[in-house]
Amino acid sequence: MSKTNAKVAAGKAARLLEYDKAASLMKRFGISIPRAEYINSKEGAERFAQDKRIALKVISDKALHKSQSGVIKLGLDSKSAGAAYLSLHAKAVNEKLSPFKILAQEMSEPGTEIIIGTNTDKQFGKLILLGLGGIYVEVFKDVSVRACPINDYDAESMLSELKSKSVIAPDSASEKRVISLLKKVSDMVVSNEWVMELDLNPVIMHKTGYSAVDVRIMV
Amino acid sequence: MDYRKINLLFKPKSVAIIGASENPDKVGHVIMQNYIDVGFSGKIYPINKDAEKVLGMKAYKNIKDVGAQIDLAVIAIPAEGAIRALDDCGKSGVKSAIVVASGFSEIGRDDLQAELVEISEKYNMPILGPNCLGVMDMRSRVDTMFLPTFKLDKPKIGGVAFVSQSGAVGSTVLDMISHEGFGLSKFISYGNAAVIDEVDLLEYLLHDDDTKIVLFYMEGVKRGRKFMETVKRFTQSKPIIMAKGGITPEGSKAAHSHTASLAGSAMAYEAVFKQYGLVHAKDIDDLLSFGKIFETENLSQGKRVAIITNGGGTGVLATDALYSNGLELAELSGGSAVALRKVMPNIVNVRMPLDMGGDADDKRFAAAMDIVTKDQSADMIMVISLFQTPGADSRVAATLIHYKSTTDKPMVVVSPGGNYAQVHNQMMESSGLPVYESPSAAARAMKALLDYSNYIRDTRGIYGKAQKRQK
Repeated sequence: MSKTNAKVAAGKAARLLEYDKAASLMKRFGISIPRAEYINSKEGAERFAQDKRIALKVISDKALHKSQSGVIKLGLDSKSAGAAYLSLHAKAVNEKLSPFKILAQEMSEPGTEIIIGTNTDKQFGKLILLGLGGIYVEVFKDVSVRACPINDYDAESMLSELKSKSVIAPDSASEKRVISLLKKVSDMVVSNEWVMELDLNPVIMHKTGYSAVDVRIMV
Repeated sequence: MDYRKINLLFKPKSVAIIGASENPDKVGHVIMQNYIDVGFSGKIYPINKDAEKVLGMKAYKNIKDVGAQIDLAVIAIPAEGAIRALDDCGKSGVKSAIVVASGFSEIGRDDLQAELVEISEKYNMPILGPNCLGVMDMRSRVDTMFLPTFKLDKPKIGGVAFVSQSGAVGSTVLDMISHEGFGLSKFISYGNAAVIDEVDLLEYLLHDDDTKIVLFYMEGVKRGRKFMETVKRFTQSKPIIMAKGGITPEGSKAAHSHTASLAGSAMAYEAVFKQYGLVHAKDIDDLLSFGKIFETENLSQGKRVAIITNGGGTGVLATDALYSNGLELAELSGGSAVALRKVMPNIVNVRMPLDMGGDADDKRFAAAMDIVTKDQSADMIMVISLFQTPGADSRVAATLIHYKSTTDKPMVVVSPGGNYAQVHNQMMESSGLPVYESPSAAARAMKALLDYSNYIRDTRGIYGKAQKRQK
């Protein structure tokens, strides 16, 4: 039994991988994530928001299962970023989320939200999931699942199985992007067995590409 | 495990029955009686520590006293004794064993099951079970089941292997299969899968020339990754129709205590089934209904179904059934329409579904079949033959059987009804024409066939090649 399987069998609680590590793992497998950095001050937030829209997020083990609405601010510019930073910081302290960090992230172009996730099954190992993202994933449960590693056929059939296929991938270019992304994620978890769970929720599919704006990896 | 060693369970030349008894209430009695009843041609050695003779044959106190080569030992005594008996088998050079006794991991006695595995490894002796019914081989006439022959109808010989983790599901389905049109190659009930597990069995059946398709009832796999790899190769050459117990969390709990299966999540099983072309039967009805179409029919080239009916309303229901199952009504070619117009009476509308009228007789069926079976725009054919109508009689059944033999397209008959209909249904089924009681049952089975056909079409290039490379 591998270490990972032993972990699954023992039902050990997984922990959240630090954002930097998750981000560098994504980059290594060619998965596109928005430019981001940790911010320590009001000024830092304003500087990061220069000439673009940004999001600020509190990153903490304790904020994992909370509704994230309170600890994330979206669509900030250089004028609003500083105040948003201060209010987020105060809120995190107030809600006893320490230790925490605040991450500033470049906003993605608008588009369709999808979810790609993986987990580790006792019997079959790494599984990968695709679905329409945002609020819809819970409501419609329109998701498809395969065991990793997946090939082109698997990825294509995952997509074509979804009722929301035409929403997620309205043209062949976006279809190719989803398929390629699915395969990259599969490759990533297969070669990094210690990744117990991964959530890319949402990935924003826009006209010219995609952006995995929220990455959560449990190890 | 080398799958070839499993062959000994099905084709033994000599069998020892440990626990064979004169007492008809004992499992060992029934098993031995079955061996005699089905006409097993090899040697039988009853083992019983208290009897001189069992069922007229010389009995031995211990397997070690036999002093001859034994290919298979069937162990029909309780768990603790079974372990000692297995060790004796190993010492005497017995080549394989089936343990029907329960009382192992399924009731928490992991220690006894571990001992059993140890003995198997020590003597290099494959063991089926424990907690199982064993096997039935229709050709070699081996039957290790402890179910009296008069209580259970035995299926005829055919190309379907039926594998069941559960003995109870196994024996009921076996009884039901004997009333279906198809025959069995082998029946295997493998219980706790302590040594021989589902992967070994599939590997064996993949190489078994008598087996064309596999019906499988499973509660859980033991080696998930290996199972995936095996199924991927298997489904390229033979279909597997899989009913999985324990899909709900509660059912899964029941299964765990039942055959000590390691449960994975239901979602994972469904994903793997879909990914590697397993035909997923939602229940036992599906298992039998799908088995029937897969056993006799070719793969389908597409989803367009031609419907020929002698009842309008049933044709409407059948059309609904097609579309609710993701199938489509075929649109006949212009040539077919012209030809049908010539041979059908004026009251018949020449379009799909083709309603030939309640007075349609065998000649009208033949005229329609002649044209529709040749039409390239139909991938499959559903014939609704209502035997309650004045025109339908044995000649219609014979006509359908004839046209079935002239076409490569998958073809099924829908014929609901009582005794008169049943007589004809049996006639058609035993001639290899699948008959369904309702349009929706037929459509479900056709969809299952189509899904598998599409899977093979889409993956042959990927997995088919990989298989050749490995040879």
